[in-house]
Amino acid sequence: MDYSRFVRLRRPVWEAFEAELAATRGSLRKASYGTLEDMALRYRQVLHDHALATARFPGTAAARRLQSLALEGTRRLTGEGRQRPAGPRVFFSRTFPLAFQRQLGLLGITVALFLLAAVWGLTVAALRPAVGLALLGPDAVRGLEEGRLWTSSLVTTVPPAVSSSRIATNNISVALTAWTGGVLAGLVPLYVVLLNGLMLGAIVGVTMHYSLAAELLEFISAHGLLELTLIMVSAAAGMALGKAMVAAGDRPRAQALREASRDSLTVLLGCVPWFVVLAVVEVFVSPSTEVPASVKLVLGLALEGAFLALALRPVRLEVTTSTESTP
Amino acid sequence: MGLTCLRIDAPAGCTYAWGSRNGEWSQVAETRRESILGLDNIRLDLPVAGLGSRSLAAFLDYIGLGIVAAAWIVGSLVLAQMVAIGWTVVLVVAGLFVIDWGYFALQEILGGGRTLGKRLLKLRVVTAEGGTPAVGSLLIRNLVRSLDLLCGPLLMAIDPLSRRLGDRLAGTLVVHDRERERSPVLGRVPPGWGARELAVVEAFLARARTLGDPAVAGEMAERILTRIRGDAPELLAGLDPAADPVAILRQALQAEEG
Repeated sequence: MDYSRFVRLRRPVWEAFEAELAATRGSLRKASYGTLEDMALRYRQVLHDHALATARFPGTAAARRLQSLALEGTRRLTGEGRQRPAGPRVFFSRTFPLAFQRQLGLLGITVALFLLAAVWGLTVAALRPAVGLALLGPDAVRGLEEGRLWTSSLVTTVPPAVSSSRIATNNISVALTAWTGGVLAGLVPLYVVLLNGLMLGAIVGVTMHYSLAAELLEFISAHGLLELTLIMVSAAAGMALGKAMVAAGDRPRAQALREASRDSLTVLLGCVPWFVVLAVVEVFVSPSTEVPASVKLVLGLALEGAFLALALRPVRLEVTTSTESTP
Repeated sequence: MGLTCLRIDAPAGCTYAWGSRNGEWSQVAETRRESILGLDNIRLDLPVAGLGSRSLAAFLDYIGLGIVAAAWIVGSLVLAQMVAIGWTVVLVVAGLFVIDWGYFALQEILGGGRTLGKRLLKLRVVTAEGGTPAVGSLLIRNLVRSLDLLCGPLLMAIDPLSRRLGDRLAGTLVVHDRERERSPVLGRVPPGWGARELAVVEAFLARARTLGDPAVAGEMAERILTRIRGDAPELLAGLDPAADPVAILRQALQAEEG
């Protein structure tokens, strides 16, 4: 086929496809089934014309036009973006629990590491209180010597709402850092878990030394359990990235990383609303002297239970038909 | 003024050429392209954006980020006249947190893979297969941005697809996103002419109107007409030889705007 005949015969198809792309520029989702079917057919025809033009008429205007048309068609009609993002209900009832449950093994390892570090910190602080005091800083130590916890400053020095927003953003930042740092062979989440465990153990040890452990445990009872759980879940998500980076298994590393990042991001996003809830509890309930310790403990256990019930709820796997590569 | 052209040929199929016409510089040749296999195993050449254009886009975006953050702080301070100072601080803290982590991701999600900087430089994020990335992929590639500030440039420099860490995690690429080409397509072709001749004539007709000196365009058209007279004189039958050579060439080859 010569060039002019090729252009004359095929040009109507290219123009029709261009018109369809222009008509659906706003959103492909609003297009009717018939339009989509037409577009899919013409996309295939354009791709084949592009292949022919590239081989037979390279560098010509028709070949360049088909090249850009094929690229635009590929971008608009294929890829992950065609899938409508699941709403919050589907996310929290299905997507998040499935991703969470796939990472239970790593979460188990994370919890074990955290407990080891906490026991170590407690032991060190009990045997050598100076080490624990060094971790707390001079203001907190001064408070302990006066028989009060540093946690009271959460609401006495700044308005509770400010503390709450700072705590929420700080905790979410820690979770995000633990996750992103996972790509460095899992070292950053490992550091976050060990540091948090060590700090908790040391702080409990120091407050025991000043006979304030009961007050500390009362303070953290409402929010601490879930907060630590969420930090560990985020760290486990980061470790999943590290695992994919270091030991990709029988898949290409890029594919393993891609899969691990999707699952772990889902887990991370599922934790974010809980961080906000916890920040409110930490500022408005935990330091309050009007709320009894038993209520704080029940609230803490209820929050932890609600999170675990959501994350561990049984989800039935659906059999889906993949149409990933077919527009 | 004629076209002066500085040409740099880089390895692995990268060709950059920049031309200066009337003192204005513009890109006149292909950028780096990487082949992928599309539907039915048909090869598609993605115009991959390199380290330079991506860094410039990121620089523009960070300027935008700074402006948005400053505007948010100023807006919150204005609001402070009406609400308690505590809530103003909450607004500033929460707002800056969202801007810091969400500025790039939100723009890419809402803008079809384009941020402000990418729009200005005509770049776009696509999947490794050239498709539209999902929201999750765009989130992933932007959440690791802080790490990419450290290692991203090096990773992009050594990767043929110029992928930073975020791109590797999300399975995405950044490509040049240019408008569809609208250049004349020949409706009649002298027998025996190959793709090279066709491409040259089409390129000439596309640029003939923008050449500064009409005499130069006429001279170049005349050269092509001479060749046509030798190869296929019947294509020139019935055309006024005294007319503008560029117009004669268009009529003889039935050049139609793409």
